Formats: sequence, structure tokens, C-alpha cells
Amino acid sequence: MRLFMAGLRKLVRRPATYVTFGLLVGLLALIYLAVGGTARQTAAAGNGGEQALLLLTFPGAYTLLLSFILGLGGLFAMIYGAAIAGSEWTWGTLKAAVARGESRSRYQLLSFSSIGVLVGIGLLVAFGIGVAVAIVAAGIAGVSTSGLGDAATLGTLPALLGRGWLALAEACALGFTIATLARSQLAGIGVGIAVYFGEQFASIFLPDVVKYLPFNAATAVVATSGRVGGGGGGAAPVRLDPDTALFVVAAWLIGALIVTALFTERAEISG
Amino acid sequence: MTDGLALATRGLQKRYGSRTALAGLDLTVPAGVVYGFLGPNGAGKTTTMRLLTGLIHPDAGTIEILGRPFGRRDRRRLFEVGALIESPSFYPYLSARENLRALAATGAPTSTSRIEELLELVGLRDRARDKVQTYSLGMKQRLGIAAALLSDPSLLLLDEPSNGLDPAGIVAMRETLKQLALSGKTVFVSSHILGEVQQLADVLGIIAAGRLVREGPIDQLLQGEGVVRVRVTPAEVAAAKLVLDRLAPDSPSSTTGDGGWLSLRIPPDRAAEVNRALAAAGIHASGLETGNDLESLFLELTGGDDSANPEGTFFGTAGGNVRPPAGPGAGGVA
Repeated sequence: MRLFMAGLRKLVRRPATYVTFGLLVGLLALIYLAVGGTARQTAAAGNGGEQALLLLTFPGAYTLLLSFILGLGGLFAMIYGAAIAGSEWTWGTLKAAVARGESRSRYQLLSFSSIGVLVGIGLLVAFGIGVAVAIVAAGIAGVSTSGLGDAATLGTLPALLGRGWLALAEACALGFTIATLARSQLAGIGVGIAVYFGEQFASIFLPDVVKYLPFNAATAVVATSGRVGGGGGGAAPVRLDPDTALFVVAAWLIGALIVTALFTERAEISG
Repeated sequence: MTDGLALATRGLQKRYGSRTALAGLDLTVPAGVVYGFLGPNGAGKTTTMRLLTGLIHPDAGTIEILGRPFGRRDRRRLFEVGALIESPSFYPYLSARENLRALAATGAPTSTSRIEELLELVGLRDRARDKVQTYSLGMKQRLGIAAALLSDPSLLLLDEPSNGLDPAGIVAMRETLKQLALSGKTVFVSSHILGEVQQLADVLGIIAAGRLVREGPIDQLLQGEGVVRVRVTPAEVAAAKLVLDRLAPDSPSSTTGDGGWLSLRIPPDRAAEVNRALAAAGIHASGLETGNDLESLFLELTGGDDSANPEGTFFGTAGGNVRPPAGPGAGGVA
């Protein structure tokens, strides 16, 4: 427990926590406000603005917002996980813990648990801010927010957020694992970003395979009718159904953590 | 192997690819002493430290820490060990106090009062709230020593602990380490700063090319290890050598290859006698100095070892007065 709490304290003091979260929320706000400011005119011109207005139309906006956070937030979560894990090697702090007799795998898994908790808190706060920004953007666009209190949708939100948390934790675990294997913060972040965009690019050619890959599966855990998030352009995505996606995401998460633990247990720590 | 020993290794071997870092290291570290672990760059000191703290694992050989075997599954033995290996490792965005708290959450349970005690001990209490990224190298080193002492260890492993410390810091560290040894703890200090080790250590181990080439109480090791050096003009070297060799027939003098210096392995208190003998032979030395005892021993045991000192600088430049390192049989208590 003390290791877990120490992990949380370290993350709360860490600038990367706020930079990553700030970037996600900042981009989210920017995009929603831009949509709010332009969607009505685009819709009137018949340039697909109706689709954009869905982002601001409650109660559907709840799931679209969450899906958006999972798309863009997945990339940031991966970078964050890589930054945390990589710095343990780069700064030699893992070395210091191991030299004190700490279990390597316990240290890594509890460090990740702390990150997982913080990612969950980040998701909740980002979602709350996103809803507030969506309301403001809806006001700008002149879209009614009458669906905001839709009881049926609100009742599903805890489960959706829980799924979203798992999806972000999976993306974070991948970054964590990649940086652990690379034993480097920068290499971990670089390789993680390459994997993320590589997966998005590959979905154009191998959609039936890519739908099982970690970032695609993560964005599929929440069912949406439109395409949003950080996936870039291209053909309409082939997606897993949300329940299958959840299973795949859990498998990637557990697999990544097992690889991290095994690698760290066997690694020769130097430098 | 182990009654009364804080640390013992037998046949410790480690290779990195085709390079042999340790080739059968046998260390015997008595409890309650300051043990100076000396060796040239690349001799295997840091590899040894990493092995002793479980960061890497040996290819062969055994380690005993505080009388009990230490292997892959014995990480809890390190609860009684404090270590500072290579450079101190901290989160730069946290303060000294926060870093020690974070570290205290690993390994053996540590009280918060211990953290304050150590910040005071290493002189960082006034800067304890500042981020470590604002610290100088010396301050980080002090914090590293505090981190090593965190769990009040019975065995302290310090790799170049005086790195970056100012003279006052070095003196304070030396006194602290001596006090720790007096209180029954064992301090294992790896270094290549000979003067520092000579002032600090009770027992010495010298490593070269991955093997222990000499080990024992420092007083015993340095008995008869004095050296007197004289400088004469190049034209007088041969004549001076004849004079010096008559003074110590069992230990012929040697040229050091650096501008007419000759070395003679005799006690330093015979320096005046050397000067008189040269003057009597009509040779006037332009320089005369008595050598550092430990330096002589160190050079003798390690100086000719190219693999340990590939650049041929520092300890490896002396020519005639160095001999190849002793063979495998040279290890063990002197």
C-alpha cells in the first residue's frame, strides 16, 4: 500500500501529469468550441455539418464525447505511460528501489496501478469538462440541450465510463510496456507514437486484423454511431462490438503488464 | 565461509558479451570495518557493486551478505544493505524530502523521523524543500548518501561516494563513514581516489582486470611499500641508477620515462640518504619526492594492465616502475 500511495504522490507532483491532461482537455475544448462556432453554417451549406452537430446534441453527445476522449486520450495515455515507465530507467529510480530489496515486478505493477488510478480520475475530470464545453458549444451553435438530463442515458454513463477507463488504462499499459522494453523515456514515447499511428494507418489496408489491435479495440469499447476521436481520416472503420472489444482490451492490458513484469524481473539493470 | 564477515564472494564471474568484467572475484569483507575497494577504470568495481545489490546476476560464483547466501530470490537480504551505485538516482521534479519519502516506500519499512535525521546529517535540511533538479552534483551526492543510509543498514555499499563533494563535504563524509564503522556497521567503499581510501579504509581490496590482486588490512599491505623518486638530467640517469641500486640492492631502481625521474622502492624516510649518495657521486638531483605508499602498491598491482586502463593515462603512464598485475594466485588476505 505504501508503494502504491508513494506512486500516486509522485504522479500528482509530476509536471507530465498536468501537461498531458492539459493538452487533452485543451484540444477537446478547442475542437468542441470550433464545432459549435462553425457547425450551423456548414450544415446550412450542406457540407456535412449535421454530422458535426451530433457532437453537441445530448444525450447522444455523451457517448460521442467519451469516444472522442478515448481516441485522442488513448494516444495521450500511451505517451503518459511511456513517460512514467521510461523515466524509471532513465533516472535510475528503479535501480535505487531494486538495490533496496524491493521486488521488481511488484514495483512495476504498483507503479502502474497508481497511473491507472490517476488515468481514471483524469477521465472523469476530462469528461466533466467536456460536457461543460459541449453545453457551451451547443449554446453557440444554437443546439438544444434538452437531452442533457435523459435518465436512460445517464443511467448507462457509469458503465460507459468504466469501459472507457479500462480502454485508457490499456493504452497507458502499452506505453508503459514499450518504454520498459526500451528502458528509455524518449525511446518509449517515440516507439509508442509510431505504434499508435502505424495501427491507424494499417486499418486502411487490414481492417479485419487491425480491429483486434489495442488502440482500435480501445475506441470500440463504447458504441457510437459516428466516427470521432484521434483516428485520422480514411475509410469507415471496421469495429469490434463493444463487448468483444472490452474482452480484447482486457487481454491487451493484462498481456502488457505480464510482459512488463517478466521483462523487469529478468532485466540486467545498469546505468 | 562466513562467521564475522559482512560480505564474501567466491569465484564471482560476470561477462558482458565477449568481454569479461569479473573473472573469479574472491572478496572477504570483515564486519565493522571500512573496506576500500580499489581498482583502475574498467577493472570491475561497478560490476561488483551491481552484483552485490542484485541489479545484475553473476554467471558463476557465490555471494554472501551478512553471513547468508544472496541469490536471485534473496532480495530481502538487501533490507539490511544501503547502496549508492554510480550516480545518485532521484526524481528531479521532487524535493530531497519527497525523494527520500518515495524511496522509503520501497524495501525495508522506514520511519519519517529517519528522513529528517538524515537530511540533517548530510546538511540538506535547509534545502530539503527544493527540487532536486536545482541541486549541484555535490548536493545530489549528499542526498545519495542519505538515501543509502535510509534503512539504517548494517552494510553500506558506496560507489565513488566523494564524487562532486567539496573538501568540507569530503571530510564530513569521511568522518561519518568512520563513525558508522565504529558503531559496528560495515562500509564498503569503491573508489580510485587513493588518498581518500588511504585515509578512510581499515581493510583494502585491489581489483584489476576482474580479479582481486591483493586484500588485507591497509597497515599490513603498506608495510615496505614506500618509494623515493629523484630527478636528474638525462645524461646522468645511468650513473644515478648505479648509485641508487647500491642503496637498495634487493629492489633495483627504475626509470619512469617522464623526464629523468628514477624511482627507488625504499622507505620514504631514507630520502635524505638518497640525496646524499647522489651528491657524493657528483650528481645533483633537480627534484626529489617521496611517493604515496598506496599509490606505489596500486601501480605495482594494476599499472601494467592495459585492459583495465585502455587509454594508458593516469595510473597507466608510469613505465619502468610498474609490473604486470599479479596472477590469479595473488588474491586472498595478505
